[in-house]
Amino acid sequence: MKKRTVKLSVAEQKQHNLEIIYKLLPILSFLILIGVWLLAASVENARFPSPTAVWERYLLLCEKPIKKIGLLGHVLTSLRRVFIAFAIAWSSGIAFGILTGWNKKMGAVLNPIFNAVRAVPPLAWIPLITIMFGTGEGPKILVVFIGAFMPVVVNTQAGMSNIKQLYLNVGTIFNANKYQRLFQIAIPSALDAIFAGLRTSVSSGWMVVLAAEMLGAKAGVGFLITRGMESGDQALVLISMICIGLVGALLAIVMQIMEGVICPWTRKK
Amino acid sequence: MNKKNSDYKVEVKNLTKYFGDLHVLDDISFNIKKGEFVCVVGPTGCGKTTFLNLLTRIYYPTEGDLYIDGESADPKKHNLAFVFQEPSSLPWLTVEKNLRFGLELKKVPKSEIDRRVEEIIRLLGLEQFRNSYPHQLSVSTAQRIIIGRAFAMNPDLLLMDEPYGQMDVKLRFYLEDEVIRLWKELGSTVVFITHNIEEAVYLAERVLILTNKPATIKEEVVIDMPHPRDVSDPKFIELRKYITSQIKWW
Repeated sequence: MKKRTVKLSVAEQKQHNLEIIYKLLPILSFLILIGVWLLAASVENARFPSPTAVWERYLLLCEKPIKKIGLLGHVLTSLRRVFIAFAIAWSSGIAFGILTGWNKKMGAVLNPIFNAVRAVPPLAWIPLITIMFGTGEGPKILVVFIGAFMPVVVNTQAGMSNIKQLYLNVGTIFNANKYQRLFQIAIPSALDAIFAGLRTSVSSGWMVVLAAEMLGAKAGVGFLITRGMESGDQALVLISMICIGLVGALLAIVMQIMEGVICPWTRKK
Repeated sequence: MNKKNSDYKVEVKNLTKYFGDLHVLDDISFNIKKGEFVCVVGPTGCGKTTFLNLLTRIYYPTEGDLYIDGESADPKKHNLAFVFQEPSSLPWLTVEKNLRFGLELKKVPKSEIDRRVEEIIRLLGLEQFRNSYPHQLSVSTAQRIIIGRAFAMNPDLLLMDEPYGQMDVKLRFYLEDEVIRLWKELGSTVVFITHNIEEAVYLAERVLILTNKPATIKEEVVIDMPHPRDVSDPKFIELRKYITSQIKWW
């Protein structure tokens, strides 16, 4: 390819500089965060652990795992719970959302009940579930299921009831039967809304699993945080928090990649 | 009576349509012969699109009815294709899958779908866009998909609702010739709605002029000129001027 020899104009140069600044700003904000952290830890009599103290605690955690489960083990325990819950919540939530969003009669019957139940935050279910089912694996997965199910249903319903009339008209012209209308027009056109629901359910589910674990578990990241709190081990709490943040961000990235693969038409030009 | 007029593809009888209090079509009656190319022109918003939507049963008439081959119009029985005014390609399908869409819904054998779709892709020069999604294409290319999708159906009756409204002049001229060529090759009956009078005179064997809302047929003009037509031919200009003077919505 021929090398470009034209010089950038002043305005172009300005725009180019701005683009570089936008790329650098996130790094800067991260540095500020660490700076504030260092500052907070350096205050006299501060009990807040410094980044180095957290790092050392991490190394110690690798040496002496809590409950004989490494940090990664705890993360995987939490992830296992959410993934089981997601599998159930996604399949049932999408099916329920399609049913109530597409079929007006079913929607009229089931939506009022669903909306009443939806108004109760997932965490408010924990006491009732604990009384009824105890604090085993099943009840934890059930709480996460509730947290993940609601957003999937809400978004699927919205997607299914707002299908562009034009697309349905295309089906009418080609004499699509009701199954073709549903599976070849309605559901594909609602897929991006459904995916928005899945994305929300991931963040909501990840949040709820931690809460469920904090209220009684023998493993998991939520358990680690509680353990840290009970023993006044702030460094452990911070490690857990960082882990939660990283895993949450990772899950979001995975969802984005999944959406790009399953719905390639939603990618930008 | 319908059987007597068996060389008519479309018979429209006393067609009237109200949307609530809005009177859109008023007692329209006319016939379209098998294999005829008819353009419908009229003032903007006069009900041209409503008329087409009645033919396809997206809407139902308030009074009167439309018959295709002597039977009340029904997309279940009649092989119709429609080119919508708005871009109506399905965004979740690639260009090729959009072209296959109608044929697959109608369960046409796969080998036949392959053959027709390949031909349309070649005719409309869509080879390089085969695996693109509609949003990656320009508006005019996306509209070519829709036209291709309609032609791929080999329809008995092809309905086109201002299909070239959003295209540049060069592509419009090209696709106008393309429509004529495909119409002659396939022997389809075409109802083509446009507000572009030159386009109507260039394409149609017969032009129906609609009045303002509530629309009724003001006049039928037969364009007795062989294709391809020369837009600078005095007869062409005369017809264009005449139809323009008959519409006069400004």
